[in-house]
Amino acid sequence: MAEKRTEGPMDARRFAALADAYGSALHRWPPADQAAAMLFAETEQGFAILARAGKLDAMLDRHRFEAPSPALHRTIVARAATEVRQERRRRFWWLGFGLAGAGLAGAVAGLALVTVVSPDIQPDHYVMDANATSFGDAGPDADQTEEDL
Amino acid sequence: MGADPDEELVRRIGAGDPAAVQAMVARKLPRILALATRMLGDPAEAEDVAQETFVRIWRHASGWRRGHARFDTWIHRVALNLCYDRLRRRREWTTDDLPEVADEAPLPDAMPGDEECKVNQALQRIAPRQREAIVLVYYQELSNIEAAGAMQVSVDALESLLARGRRALQAMLIGDDGND
Repeated sequence: MAEKRTEGPMDARRFAALADAYGSALHRWPPADQAAAMLFAETEQGFAILARAGKLDAMLDRHRFEAPSPALHRTIVARAATEVRQERRRRFWWLGFGLAGAGLAGAVAGLALVTVVSPDIQPDHYVMDANATSFGDAGPDADQTEEDL
Repeated sequence: MGADPDEELVRRIGAGDPAAVQAMVARKLPRILALATRMLGDPAEAEDVAQETFVRIWRHASGWRRGHARFDTWIHRVALNLCYDRLRRRREWTTDDLPEVADEAPLPDAMPGDEECKVNQALQRIAPRQREAIVLVYYQELSNIEAAGAMQVSVDALESLLARGRRALQAMLIGDDGND
């Protein structure tokens, strides 16, 4: 998110708009505007604008709250050990599932590759057929030859 | 964006370092509790939100990776979401019907020394998004870019929410437009 920067010297309108939004303390203003704002704050107009915003700031500063109780601190710390341990265990299991899944996926991919790349294996009964020759199945011709004789 | 001052602490929590847990609670609990107290106006509910926020911190510590936001901005977002869940449950408003106009009627006169209560009442009467902007920038002292990031709005939109919220507070707390 880009910081908006005031071009050139700050004018009363921009100074008042920033005071309306951020109040009278310049350290809360956008860093890009602070240098120009400090110069404008020295002027009579700048001083008046800051004084007006400062009235509301003085009221807002009255809203304080008590520091967290030691009991709350202890309760939160006590819960940490259990939660961190459970989360690490959960991550460990997910890592295990992930590795197992990757292994399974690799095995399936390997099997698919072997199936696609490897040539078809001839059935054993065809290879072992006594009538088969290197020129093809010569069985019927052989039978015919015997009859001719 | 500079180095994140909380990053090393978060890494140690993720590694199970009990001293880092103590340090994180000491560092962040006052800020989270203050945020929730000012957003909800109820100390008991704010304590619940603080506890739930830390549970999320513990759960995410071992897997925390810095993205675009600092860790502090991220926990502010988590705490704010939890606050909004509670505000919705109270039926103060619904997601689709955000009250953008505050009730700016002057508050009853407070007893001397009761100004803190008056400020709390005024904060609870402005629109939640305006209150959120003021709490983040004024009380939590987030920079405008961090606050806009936590609220997921532009810097211009943040400035508009701040200005409208402060005008409403001014009308309620000072009773005029702030001029002498």
